[in-house]
Amino acid sequence: MNLKKTLSDYGTILVLILLGLGFSIVTIEEQWPTGNKAAKSLLQDVISTRPANGSNVLVLVRQGGDGKAFADALASESVAAGLNVLQIAVTQPVGARKALISIGQSGNSLPFIFADRHMANFCNEQLPRLSTQHPSLSTARVFTPSSHKWPNFLKKENLLNILKQISVVAIIAIGMTMIIITAGIDLSVGSLIAFSGVITALVIQSVGGGTPTTTHLFLGAFSGIIACGLIGMFTGGMVTAFGIPAFIVTLGVMFVARGMSFILADSDPVLVANPDFGWLGRGELLGLPNTVLLMALLFILAHLLMTRTSVGRYIYAVGGNPEAARLSGVPVKWVLVFVYTLCGVLAGLGGVMEASLHVTGDPKAGNMLELQVIAAVVVGGTSLAGGQGRIFGTLVGALIIGVIRNGMNLTGVEAHMQSVVYGVVILIAVLVDRLKAKIR
Amino acid sequence: MNKTKYLLVSFLIGLTSVWTGCGGGGTDNTGENSSGSTAGKVSKGVIAYSPLTLSNPFFKVIGDSLSAAAKEHGYETTMLDPNEDVKTQSDQIDDVIAKQVTAIVLVPCNRISIGPAIKAANKAGIPVFTVDAQCAAEGVEIISHVGTDNFQGGELAGKAMIEALGENGGKVLVLDHKIANSCVLRVQGFKKVLEPHLKSGKIKIVAELPSGGNRTDSYKATADQLQAHSDLAGVFAINDPGALGAYTAIEEAGRQESIKIIGFDGQKEGKIAIKEGKVYADPIQFPRKMGVQIVEKIVSHLAGEEVEKTVLIPTSLYKKADAEKDPELQ
Repeated sequence: MNLKKTLSDYGTILVLILLGLGFSIVTIEEQWPTGNKAAKSLLQDVISTRPANGSNVLVLVRQGGDGKAFADALASESVAAGLNVLQIAVTQPVGARKALISIGQSGNSLPFIFADRHMANFCNEQLPRLSTQHPSLSTARVFTPSSHKWPNFLKKENLLNILKQISVVAIIAIGMTMIIITAGIDLSVGSLIAFSGVITALVIQSVGGGTPTTTHLFLGAFSGIIACGLIGMFTGGMVTAFGIPAFIVTLGVMFVARGMSFILADSDPVLVANPDFGWLGRGELLGLPNTVLLMALLFILAHLLMTRTSVGRYIYAVGGNPEAARLSGVPVKWVLVFVYTLCGVLAGLGGVMEASLHVTGDPKAGNMLELQVIAAVVVGGTSLAGGQGRIFGTLVGALIIGVIRNGMNLTGVEAHMQSVVYGVVILIAVLVDRLKAKIR
Repeated sequence: MNKTKYLLVSFLIGLTSVWTGCGGGGTDNTGENSSGSTAGKVSKGVIAYSPLTLSNPFFKVIGDSLSAAAKEHGYETTMLDPNEDVKTQSDQIDDVIAKQVTAIVLVPCNRISIGPAIKAANKAGIPVFTVDAQCAAEGVEIISHVGTDNFQGGELAGKAMIEALGENGGKVLVLDHKIANSCVLRVQGFKKVLEPHLKSGKIKIVAELPSGGNRTDSYKATADQLQAHSDLAGVFAINDPGALGAYTAIEEAGRQESIKIIGFDGQKEGKIAIKEGKVYADPIQFPRKMGVQIVEKIVSHLAGEEVEKTVLIPTSLYKKADAEKDPELQ
């Protein structure tokens, strides 16, 4: 039994690794290095092959990203190699053209242009034309660090993007996992994202006016989260007090919350007038996106809750056999109300994250997101029949879906095909769940 | 034990085949979705195109002409489909920033919420262009916008309505779509031309209802208004699906002889409806021109030239006589 469980856990992780490997292979592409190392090796190559001492140099790098740092590195390496740096241009193409023209007009000789890939492209196209007007440019040669092959999928920015993009779904999936372990379901989480975002933005707008402070931002975020927590509590209450199937209750709440979001927001996105609000959704701490750190923290907490506390054991017990759980003294109703409330709170948090990402409360946010959340839980190996499931399985499930999505975007698979693939992945996951149950 | 192993293996095979399936899909699509570099010529970079959705032929046409024009200049094109969801569109922009594309062309799914994603592209130094719909977020840098002159289009629609109603004028229903700024401009242009007739009472706008930009909502809104006004004489819908939804309701009521419909866009289904006499006229947009012009703007920006911030392409009125000559409909 234990062995089986371990095997199926490793199974999903193995799938994840295989997917990663596969996408790495299909996304291998030419990469153009920047930074200190690239600057150093470029200068070494150039100086070792031709006499350069004292020659004029133009450093030309596209503005943005790590462009400034790369340009500085190129310039200081040039100076160290005894070259004369005429100008360092970190700029858009318009500025690059101006820089070239001004050097051309000055009549200085320009044997070396050190550029990044974008500006090298620019020079290769434009230099022949410019040198007809400015003959001194005709001797100019462009040098750019040589390229190497590396999968786009495995670039650090891309991997962080995947984590960032799954964070909202994964965080809500924590609550959904608990609900599904109790053999319930919550269809309202997508609408709650919109509801929370709109409430947050509206509260910030009404207390903060045109210039909301950080306190106002926190106040707004708490209002959004608490509002969704209360809705979750209401859902849990309906499910336990009247025994209405969770599917029906949450379907109703889904429509109500979506409609209310549009009414409250007057059908238009609600702006938050303080750009600091984007800190949660787009900010970084120690090089990691805040949303990813938050996701990691919540998963650890949820894992501890499910494995180390009596609440966790109660949740499994309620899902396994509610009658037996009740007879052995588990407060079944309170456990149910707890999981629905928690899921509401997490959906509210997801809504705040989403609103923060766009610095706007959007009543259209989170459309159909409930299905992605449920998919993450199911792919992660939680049984829809209840009683079984792992918090970290859900994280792996969310990662699998995120990796497939990202990989398909990188390889340019069109949207309808993507939808087919998600569907097939979910079907396979449910099939495996069924077959596992049969064997037992 | 063996059974478990068997299951796991089949699960893996299933998932890997899913992956191979989409990997294959990717390669199959290159012919269609991204124009590869021409033989012997190294690709100069990738232009990413993210419209509202590719399932709307209008955006597909823009994309195809964009990709053809980009290919001529030595660029590849990646087409993304955010399915009208701004969160998906933001994620896709993040993906292509990581991929270090040469330029991004957007039809913003939301004119405000897309702001932070565009800022991220600005920060990474990737030039952003918009086509069809503009971005209204603050503090973003859009190099250039190419779109339709929607106000002028609305004016043409107004002229066509006056002409269609003739001497007697009559009651008009407007099917709008206020979420999209372009559609708001169309209705404004429409009303401006109608103004003298509205004042004299010859033409009366009885209602402005949301069309959702689709057939279903337009059908329902029109059906309701047909009940309320037995003497309705005209319908102006802000796009072709809206006009066709209205036609279904009018046909059901058997009143197609007495009610004239003006649409907008000039998509193929709209043009066919004009040819068949279901719709009186459309101010038509020129998606092909948009795709070509946006590439021109990208190329001149990359060549270091100053580019126009906004280029509006005027619409032209398309009526039955035009449809009968149209080679696209032969």
